[in-house]
Amino acid sequence: MRTKTIGVILAAVLATLALGSVFTASASAAPQWNFAGTALTGKEDILGAAISSSMTIPGMTTTCDHFLYNMQIENSGGAGKGKIDELPLFECHTNTPACTVEAIEAKALPWPTHLMTVAEKPYLFVEGIEVGILYGGAECALGEVEVPVRGTAGGLLSNETESATFNASTFSATGAKLKVGSTPIEWNGVFPTEAFEWHREESLSVE
Amino acid sequence: MNVKSGARWLAALLCITALAGLQAASASAHTGEWAKFNYCPTTQTGVVKCIYSLTEGGEVVLGNKKVPIVNPVTLQGGLSSPTAGVRTMFAATNGETLSKTPEPVPGGLLGIVPPEDSPWLVKRLSAFFFENSLTGVNATLELAKPANEVQLNEINLAFEEGTALKLPVKVHLENPFLGKNCYVGSSSAPLIWNLTTGVTSPPAGIEAIAGFGGEAEFKEGGALVQINNAKLVENNWSAPKASGCGGILSFLVNPIIDAQIGLPTAAGHNKAVLETTNDLATVAAVNSH
Repeated sequence: MRTKTIGVILAAVLATLALGSVFTASASAAPQWNFAGTALTGKEDILGAAISSSMTIPGMTTTCDHFLYNMQIENSGGAGKGKIDELPLFECHTNTPACTVEAIEAKALPWPTHLMTVAEKPYLFVEGIEVGILYGGAECALGEVEVPVRGTAGGLLSNETESATFNASTFSATGAKLKVGSTPIEWNGVFPTEAFEWHREESLSVE
Repeated sequence: MNVKSGARWLAALLCITALAGLQAASASAHTGEWAKFNYCPTTQTGVVKCIYSLTEGGEVVLGNKKVPIVNPVTLQGGLSSPTAGVRTMFAATNGETLSKTPEPVPGGLLGIVPPEDSPWLVKRLSAFFFENSLTGVNATLELAKPANEVQLNEINLAFEEGTALKLPVKVHLENPFLGKNCYVGSSSAPLIWNLTTGVTSPPAGIEAIAGFGGEAEFKEGGALVQINNAKLVENNWSAPKASGCGGILSFLVNPIIDAQIGLPTAAGHNKAVLETTNDLATVAAVNSH
């Protein structure tokens, strides 16, 4: 009887350990930045222009035709990290007849970033996001006061296309949340990643 | 000639009357989503936005009396341009900036409330005997100051920080025995609610309570924003003694009401929780719909 009890406890402990290792593998194991198949040493600047990028508050989508970014990246402590230090936004507009975009500005830069793996896929996680938007238009309900968008963003990295894709499913996978006040914002964007300094024209991958 | 002149005067008078009628109608002729703004003072100088805030839930705790909000309360009117984020309110054109909506006080005049877990029948009998037209008491929130002392900060409302809505109010207690002028708070000593959607800052030893900024949704092509499920809270306000209760017998009745409610109360011993839906639009948008 005692042997049976010990057996049950042992099995439970082993099952717990096995489950623990599964969870660890699915959510930790931070990937690193690689150029031409070799892990990045030192720092590198990558930059690009979003192929398309828009933010949606229920009922209104704000799109910027020119959405540039500059991110400094490095591998630190075995994990890919970085910071977005520039994010100029141009030619922004909404899909509503009442509201124009008078001004839009990335604030509180730099925004720290790090790589993470979720369900064996690499993601770029951006923290400390703050974008101030001033809407215009005599009939726009949110005119006159700057509307701050704050939170985090998680984008899926693709080694094939060398880009990061941000959408509702990548936010859900990474637990990222971008909000205007208490209202969740949906951010859709595809950002190519390309080295601009020491590793220019080398293929960028995340592993 | 006299007859002709008289006819002209009559025609002119009829025209003026018709025009006046049209103008009166246009001040309250919005339909659909825009009907909420029928009493926004859109022609008044300084008004740039209209607000319609509907409180359909929550509670007001005054001393040891808890009054759930079961009948919808409306706050409506115009808003000024913001100064440091704060907009000042303009009175609604129908005079009901804050609707005078009576809320039944559980237990009525005698304050007898059955425990929460009492059988349904006990609760119904209790309400029948103690909350009827004779012993029942209604509490009605009223503005204690002119509308321009109501202030709104829509960014604080959305971002759950600081004061979102400053509301100077008084509570009108109504019952045949209490007379028509039984109030807690007055224009000279209002209950000042600095409502927040964030976390309150009550005095030491009192538990803070948290609000919620609600969820924004644009409607009507961006011309109307609706903030749903916002929860405004405040538990850092004090209340004076009751006044004017019982008419000429107020010197006798006021102390009884004070004893029943536990007045006066220091800050931290009262609470206001307003569960609201807030609609905002510019005057230009309201006028064009």
